[in-house]
Amino acid sequence: MTPAPPVLELDAVSRRYRSRRGPRRQAEVVAVDGVSLTVQPAEIVAVVGESGAGKTTLARLILGLERPDTGAVRFDGRDLTSLRRSELRAVRQRMHLVFQDPYQSLHPGMRVGEIVAEPLAVRGDARAVRGAAVTRALEEVALQPAASMGRRFPHQLSGGQRQRVALARAMVARPELVIADEPTSMLDASVCAGILDLVLAMRDRHRTAFVYITHDLAVARWVSDRMVVMRNGQVVETGASDDVVHRPTADYTRLLLAASEGELDQVPS
Amino acid sequence: MTLADTDPARAADATPLGGGPPAQTPVPDRARRRGRRTGGVGRTLGVVGAVLVGACLAAALFAPVLSPYGPDETAGLPFLRPSSAHPLGTNDVGQDLFAQLLHGARLSLVIALGAALVAVVVGSAVALVAGYYRGPVETVLMRIVDLMLGFPFLVLVIVLAAFFGRGLGTTIFVIATVLWARPARILRSQVLKLREHAHVVAAKAMGASGLRVIGRHIVPRIAPLAAAQFVRAANVAVMLEASLAFLGLGDPDRVSWGTILYFANARSAFLTDAWQWWVLPPGLALTTVILGLAFVGSAVEEWADPRLRRSAARPARRRRGAVRVAGADDAPALSLAGLVVEYQLGRSVVRAVDGVDLEVERGRILGLVGESGSGKTTIALTAAGVLRPPGRVVAGDLSLGGRPVGRPSRPALAPYRGRDVALVPQAAMNALNPAYPVLRQVVEAARLTRDEAAAEVRSRQLLERVGLDPSRHQAFPHELSGGMRQRAVIAMALVNDPDLLVADEPASGLDVVTRAQVLKLLTELRDELRLGILLVSHDLPTVSRIADDLAVMYAGRIVERGPAAVVSASPRHPYTRALFGAFPSLKGERRPLAAVPGEVPDLSRTPEGCRFRTRCAEAVDGCATTDPALAGDGGHAVACIVQRPEERP
Repeated sequence: MTPAPPVLELDAVSRRYRSRRGPRRQAEVVAVDGVSLTVQPAEIVAVVGESGAGKTTLARLILGLERPDTGAVRFDGRDLTSLRRSELRAVRQRMHLVFQDPYQSLHPGMRVGEIVAEPLAVRGDARAVRGAAVTRALEEVALQPAASMGRRFPHQLSGGQRQRVALARAMVARPELVIADEPTSMLDASVCAGILDLVLAMRDRHRTAFVYITHDLAVARWVSDRMVVMRNGQVVETGASDDVVHRPTADYTRLLLAASEGELDQVPS
Repeated sequence: MTLADTDPARAADATPLGGGPPAQTPVPDRARRRGRRTGGVGRTLGVVGAVLVGACLAAALFAPVLSPYGPDETAGLPFLRPSSAHPLGTNDVGQDLFAQLLHGARLSLVIALGAALVAVVVGSAVALVAGYYRGPVETVLMRIVDLMLGFPFLVLVIVLAAFFGRGLGTTIFVIATVLWARPARILRSQVLKLREHAHVVAAKAMGASGLRVIGRHIVPRIAPLAAAQFVRAANVAVMLEASLAFLGLGDPDRVSWGTILYFANARSAFLTDAWQWWVLPPGLALTTVILGLAFVGSAVEEWADPRLRRSAARPARRRRGAVRVAGADDAPALSLAGLVVEYQLGRSVVRAVDGVDLEVERGRILGLVGESGSGKTTIALTAAGVLRPPGRVVAGDLSLGGRPVGRPSRPALAPYRGRDVALVPQAAMNALNPAYPVLRQVVEAARLTRDEAAAEVRSRQLLERVGLDPSRHQAFPHELSGGMRQRAVIAMALVNDPDLLVADEPASGLDVVTRAQVLKLLTELRDELRLGILLVSHDLPTVSRIADDLAVMYAGRIVERGPAAVVSASPRHPYTRALFGAFPSLKGERRPLAAVPGEVPDLSRTPEGCRFRTRCAEAVDGCATTDPALAGDGGHAVACIVQRPEERP
């Protein structure tokens, strides 16, 4: 049996920025440096790293919001850089994303129902079809009763509920891939647990693949099948999540593990 | 970017770290009072402005009703003085000046509002195209905007008006031509900001077309700012119309305030006393509209930009004369009893802290843990003496190192702030003053107890101790990493040798490794300086590893307290257990996570019974009626009648 083709394939992708430091002096910052990565259908891959590791740039590259300087980003076998604008838009409708900040990622003037329906509206679904899909999506993320939740505005919801709305929006059009950029880092632990559970449930139910970006190794290990540890734009370690946590090979991974475990004597002062 | 730029009151709260000398503390109060006054006056002025402008609009609208004469009609003899028939007299050809004033308002206002509308619509379109699509289009458009803004616009208007000739349409066109650039520039910067907003990026990422993103996500959010720009533009347009007409470049066949002035000037109104009713009224009318629009404009701007809105909080009254007493060495660094803190929010009163007792021993770290809204930050601010209105200490008794302070209000703690108790506030590393090197800022804090030379010696010593290399002491905050800035903030807090350090989420917002380093630093300082540390955090696993004692808060109460090792090994309160179960374990088995269902109770109403019972899996009947007390043995106390059946009635 041949393995299913990967949903997402990054092939030695690099992205540089020119940053202006002082007058005339220009420095190049390599945000993502030769990163290769594949994501299979229904697989959850965690991208772990500290700030400046290039995690967010990686997300933007995957979504086609930025073009790589070198290398290729392939979604379902098609190179995003070779696509025309309209084709890229069509591809984007098959992936979705969830952001870190549930207070910013939802339009404050739109009702929950409209927010969740937006991917369908973008795709051009008829209004009648949308209603049922939105109700189902809201029920799936346990925002019930869906009818009354749909009429609320984001500011009437708690942080955890907003993140559920964001997840419902991400899932409503049944994407093949969801990019989740630190979706729980601003939530309280008791709320965060619910979101992580939902991510797993969505994967199991709809076979959606996730790229889960986080700085929290414990969260990454818990939610993902495979883990990619990044530092300064490069991948320093990759492997099955349990292996990375229990048998790290890179010094940097060991340092991250010690710091997250609170083993302070192993952390330099 | 930092707090310091936007909110002087809060920055003052953050930078002196446990407050500057008492003599400085009134500054934030004064700033607050001043802020409040401008906030209230802003709204009042807005209403006054609306009334002024409204009156002019009404005069324009009802001109035919208010005056029996037409503006061009010869109503009487020339140069009549004001009388009941002609309230403002007549001009040189016997036209009624009052009628002219009313009808003139029509043209002046139509031109002003029309030109402003065109300018803002064009400006918005330019802003949207330039800000959203960027690229060469933006470069070209914004260079044109720069060019327009560079011209002295009165000159430009005159040239254009002379070129295009006279008439209502051309006047509107000419004025709009010089006015669109400013809204374009201001709105573009807003569009640039919104463009990166998560919900806009989300819409783009889901494949929405540019038009949809602009229409659904950007336009509604720049509308308030555009409204403010419209009022400003109308203001300038009124003046420009009058200037043009006065220079004879208006439409001479129609009456506007500008043309009245033009004819008054041309026909020698100034040679007689006729100017009093010929020149003065349109002049005053112009002033009224311009002032009114300016008032409305600033009110609309305040409404459109929440940052300009001032909090209407009541300032704390200041008292002086609290006396510092020497403390006992073995007394706890902090002891708080029966603390009750309320926030007045609109009409409701939220009791954020409801009867909390806690002690921080010297040389020990008490981890105060809870989720958002539990009241932990309020306790930190109260203990450090920086709680601000609308927060109010209702009851409580505080002592620092054995010295009784009494009810821990801001003024009561003022003599101790910075000396005996110091605060590392939330996100303090972003609140350093960007304009000074860090050493300067630490020295400033040290001047509270030392002269300049000694302050500098001590500051350098401490900066080095917290891990800032001497070569970096003169660095500006932006040249340092977040971890280094946080170290500098900790040095600043400790520079006057306090017994108690209150650290509110000192490591959140930092990277994993840096966070561990900062926490390690705190444990080292605890031992070296015999420092008592009140460590406030939401991160239970991390805190339980570095703290000596733990106190877990829920909805304004401490629900469990004890030695950290004991509490984390055998948590008793269902909430503590739920909280430990909610964090995924790094290396242990991948057990299912325990999300806590439901929401925190509304603290503006006094909850009955146990506050956690609605979310608790173990609740029994008695939980609804009994308010559980915090009690226990061996220093491990829990507030739960299920865990302590003897508490049941």
